[in-house]
Amino acid sequence: MGREAFVRSVGAVSALGWDWPGTAAALARGESAIARVEHFDVEGFPCQVAAAVRGWAEGSEDRRREFALRAAREAWAQARPGASPERIGVFIGAESGRASFSTVLALAQAAGGGARFDHVAFGERARELAPRIDAAAVSPAAVASMLAREIGARGPCETLSLACSSGAAAIAEGVRAIRRGEVDVALCGGVGADVDPLMLAGFGLLGALSARGVSCPFDAHRDGFVVGEGAAMVVLSAERGDAVARVAGVGRSLDAWHLTAPDPDGVGAATAMRAALREAGIEAVDCVQAHGTSTQLNDEVEAQALQRVLGTRLAEAHVSSVKGALGHWIAGAGALGFLCAVHAVERDEVLPTAGLSHPDPRCELPHVQGTALRRRVGSALVNAFAFGGANTSLVVVRA
Amino acid sequence: MRPVVVIAASAVSALGLGWRGLGKAVREGGTSVTPCSALGGVLAAQVPALPPAQDVEPRQLKLMSRGARLSCVAARSLFREAPSLPQEEMGFFLGVGASGGAVEELEAMLDASFSQEQFELGRFGTAGLGACNPLFAFQLMNNYTLCHAAIREGLRGPNAALFSRGAGTVLALAEAHHAVASGECDVALGGGADSALHPVTWAELRREGAEGMVPGEGAALLALAAADHGQPLGFLQRCEVYPGRQGLARALESTRRSLQTLRPECVVLAATPQRREAARELAASVCPGTTFETAALFGEALAASASLAAVAALDLLRDGEVRRAAVLVMGPDGDVGLVGLVNEVAS
Repeated sequence: MGREAFVRSVGAVSALGWDWPGTAAALARGESAIARVEHFDVEGFPCQVAAAVRGWAEGSEDRRREFALRAAREAWAQARPGASPERIGVFIGAESGRASFSTVLALAQAAGGGARFDHVAFGERARELAPRIDAAAVSPAAVASMLAREIGARGPCETLSLACSSGAAAIAEGVRAIRRGEVDVALCGGVGADVDPLMLAGFGLLGALSARGVSCPFDAHRDGFVVGEGAAMVVLSAERGDAVARVAGVGRSLDAWHLTAPDPDGVGAATAMRAALREAGIEAVDCVQAHGTSTQLNDEVEAQALQRVLGTRLAEAHVSSVKGALGHWIAGAGALGFLCAVHAVERDEVLPTAGLSHPDPRCELPHVQGTALRRRVGSALVNAFAFGGANTSLVVVRA
Repeated sequence: MRPVVVIAASAVSALGLGWRGLGKAVREGGTSVTPCSALGGVLAAQVPALPPAQDVEPRQLKLMSRGARLSCVAARSLFREAPSLPQEEMGFFLGVGASGGAVEELEAMLDASFSQEQFELGRFGTAGLGACNPLFAFQLMNNYTLCHAAIREGLRGPNAALFSRGAGTVLALAEAHHAVASGECDVALGGGADSALHPVTWAELRREGAEGMVPGEGAALLALAAADHGQPLGFLQRCEVYPGRQGLARALESTRRSLQTLRPECVVLAATPQRREAARELAASVCPGTTFETAALFGEALAASASLAAVAALDLLRDGEVRRAAVLVMGPDGDVGLVGLVNEVAS
């Protein structure tokens, strides 16, 4: 047998807790963190709720880095791996941060503030404006670089920018780096800090957000997703240590279909799931942490793809989506889903889908509603499907 | 693990569309720098206007960042040259930059959000949104640099969009190489697409110290396949990134050892001004007198720099100028990237 990627520890910051045990306990009770946004004025926004991390320091320019740092410290402190710095890699899913509004305004006004953008005026003033832009606050790579410094990693340092599948894709990269022998330890994960005006506006423009302000994956009344935020990190290692779980399969595919809508036949989703299961050497799983965004088409396509991939074995599994409780973390979503799957395997406990009360008959799945379900879990499938059609599936099994 | 060959390539750069001829241009030390109106006249290596047949359809332009547009142009060009490639199962691994949305859109959104000279979030959520192109969000997401091209060309295989401002393209090539070598797919595209000609990107680079830097843009792709798949243009022998966090001296020493193993007959160098001297010294120590620099030709094209240099090196191989070429990349991200290409005869 070749090298394997064992799950040594996890960490998280979410709207339900400042660490993973606190978050998982609240999720198990069926709690939801979705509430009206309080830290900026959302009057007029198409969706006015989110799963925002509360109590964060005012004036923080880049919450991505702060969330990620806290989650990584939690995971790293538990793992305490013994590898040399050159054998430790960092693989993070992250999108761009946002410049502060004052910076954005200054940039816009530098163009003259008139009806037409004046490129010449803007170019001439770029030098004096430049110090106002914190490149580290907007670069996707800033998160991984910071974490590498924090843990003293000197191996590969990669940033995956694949929208909603970034976090899962980053874990996939870490797994592959361990298997290839490039690293012995990988700090992997994803972070999203998108409860801000620009992203609520952007997703509102797309019509992707819930007008009712409810995240209820696979429910008959679902009408869009709710933005959430947080960070989820995992330490993977080639050395088993006291690990209970390992990553057995990785699958990646592209829909090549549409900018926002999934392929209605679910070909890309099914391809990623099948590839992950094939790599794991199994045909069935005990639970599925679905991508489950609470949008009409995505949930239906995913449910039908699951039915096709798992067939009659689906009846033996249980399916849930964490987005009902914590919203959609975008670049962090796949990593959060991964932590839920690891929790299921390590604790024999499948976390529920909050907000799901009237399952859609078109999404006929063995759902977990209400509170967590105690059952034996030897394997779990995680799905992360992105805007633009980039799909990643992971299989976690008992080590 | 299977040996991996290059079976097709494409590029769009300040020299226009196409990869043949880039090697000669790099070897002759050409320049393609012109004043850039988007940056207020700053000298830049910008991709010239393309004929409609080579460009993206006009109705799609509002959906795309500049990087995404260039990625689409390069991908379409590659499949025109190699129409028999199995697009549906093909992997796609791309180095991408931070997609800059059209600044006009942002300004319109912000402009409409003012009331009595004060910015109001309430107005931003209503009038601001109304003033903006509803497709603006697509320009901002980095993964669309990959996904637009995948959708246009029907690419459905394993994939990754790797963000970097320098060695990112080398990582993307390395992932494409691994995907083919391990059998995850039989053919994979690897490369990069980016533009430093966005006002915000340029402002960021200036803040970090861009003295002497020529902003550039472009996209380049290599189609990699198992050695028994089609007629090879060259063999991809090495794809490595040495993290700058180890300290530059350490990264350079690791690169030097790897370069010595490669025994290149030339080094194509894509280095940002702050690191150019160190890069020149390293290249000269391994391959004296045969270092060709890309900076004046392609500018600092960020995530596209390494792949543009790689296709130029491939062109030198195809011209028979050299049998073994190395690409050395030292961009603003601080990492050091190395690509080794050899021709089929020498391998």
